Amino acid sequence: MFDKFKKHIGYYLSLIVILIFALYLVVLVSPDRQLQMSIFIVITIIYVFWGILHHLLNHDLSSKIVIEYTLVGALGMSIILFLFKGGFGL
Amino acid sequence: MRRFFLHFFTPRHSNNHRAKLLHHKVLLTITLAFFVGSFFVNYISRTYPSVLGVVAEVDTQELLILTNQKRAEAGLTPLVIDERLSRAAEGKANDMFTNDYWAHISPDGKTPWIFIRTAGYSYVFAGENLARGFSNTSDVVNAWMNSQSHRDNMLSSKYNNVGFAVGQGKLNGEDTILVVEMFGSTGQSQAIAAVSKDQVIEDQNPQVVEQETPVVAQEAQVVTEEKSISPTPSLAQARKPQEKSIKGNSIIVASAKTPVINVNSFTRNISLFALALFVFVFVLDIILARKKKLVRVAGHNIDHIFFFTMIIILAVILTRGAII
Repeated sequence: MFDKFKKHIGYYLSLIVILIFALYLVVLVSPDRQLQMSIFIVITIIYVFWGILHHLLNHDLSSKIVIEYTLVGALGMSIILFLFKGGFGL
Repeated sequence: MRRFFLHFFTPRHSNNHRAKLLHHKVLLTITLAFFVGSFFVNYISRTYPSVLGVVAEVDTQELLILTNQKRAEAGLTPLVIDERLSRAAEGKANDMFTNDYWAHISPDGKTPWIFIRTAGYSYVFAGENLARGFSNTSDVVNAWMNSQSHRDNMLSSKYNNVGFAVGQGKLNGEDTILVVEMFGSTGQSQAIAAVSKDQVIEDQNPQVVEQETPVVAQEAQVVTEEKSISPTPSLAQARKPQEKSIKGNSIIVASAKTPVINVNSFTRNISLFALALFVFVFVLDIILARKKKLVRVAGHNIDHIFFFTMIIILAVILTRGAII
């Protein structure tokens, strides 16, 4: 796990920065739920493309990986939607 | 049963060396379940609030007891409920629900002092603490006590009166419990003592306050004619499924019928459980794949762990109560 992390340190650090920046933005626009949801959708799309791009540059991209990132992104979005629709706004 | 768990959560021969939970079909099914579930929960909480609704467990009597408990620990005299301050707090809560804002000063510039004076309370010192989204009284008081500026209000020797309002309604699209705490003092002799002690010069006008902090205002006791504020809908109107009752001098949110399930806890717990489960399975997958030296065509689990961890932090931040 750590070997892989070291090998792709640049990619992982940039991903962490993007995700932390997304968190900061969501907290910044609080309590505007619609804007928060919009930011989250954008960040999910960036996350999916970032992952796909990384595999593309690594020459190990396949349709299976594209589907996996898309599904993980959609799952994250559906959970946030569940949270917002279920009493926390929207 | 053990075999089922291993098949579902760990990479092994039976699941093509990838935990079944991480298979595309299962991910898609869970995603769809959350999408459908979000609209279903929303529909049920709107249509049947007695089944799935917001539970108001914040009590104004308890707020008074806990506030005075904190003051006693600091060697201060207890605050006494003043009906006018409670009315002012109720007016503020109504105004926030009606005009859909979360701030000490309304979008049209209405300060807390207007509510206090309109309620007939001529203050020398006044202050306001606000809280939203907390499920019980002690959490509200603890949150205020953990914030220096709110704590200063609660433990101020300048005040001898307090009023509370607890309302439930929609604020910024969110079903929430709103708590307004207003402090004040009227006594001239006490005011002089407090001013003298703190070396503060009396001002004819209330102190200008920043929106994001609780406020302390001081004003000479000048009788001023306040323009009457147009009546706002009552708290009972703001929170449809609930009724308002007066208990002592304070407003208590009393559910006509307590919902069977607290919708906020329900959605938060399910979301956090699902996210934590996925993070756990991704970590387990990394460890076991490394141990078994598995070579597979799959995305980076570390990416997914980071992504879900970010959502967990987000969920915790978004669902916790807020104070200003």
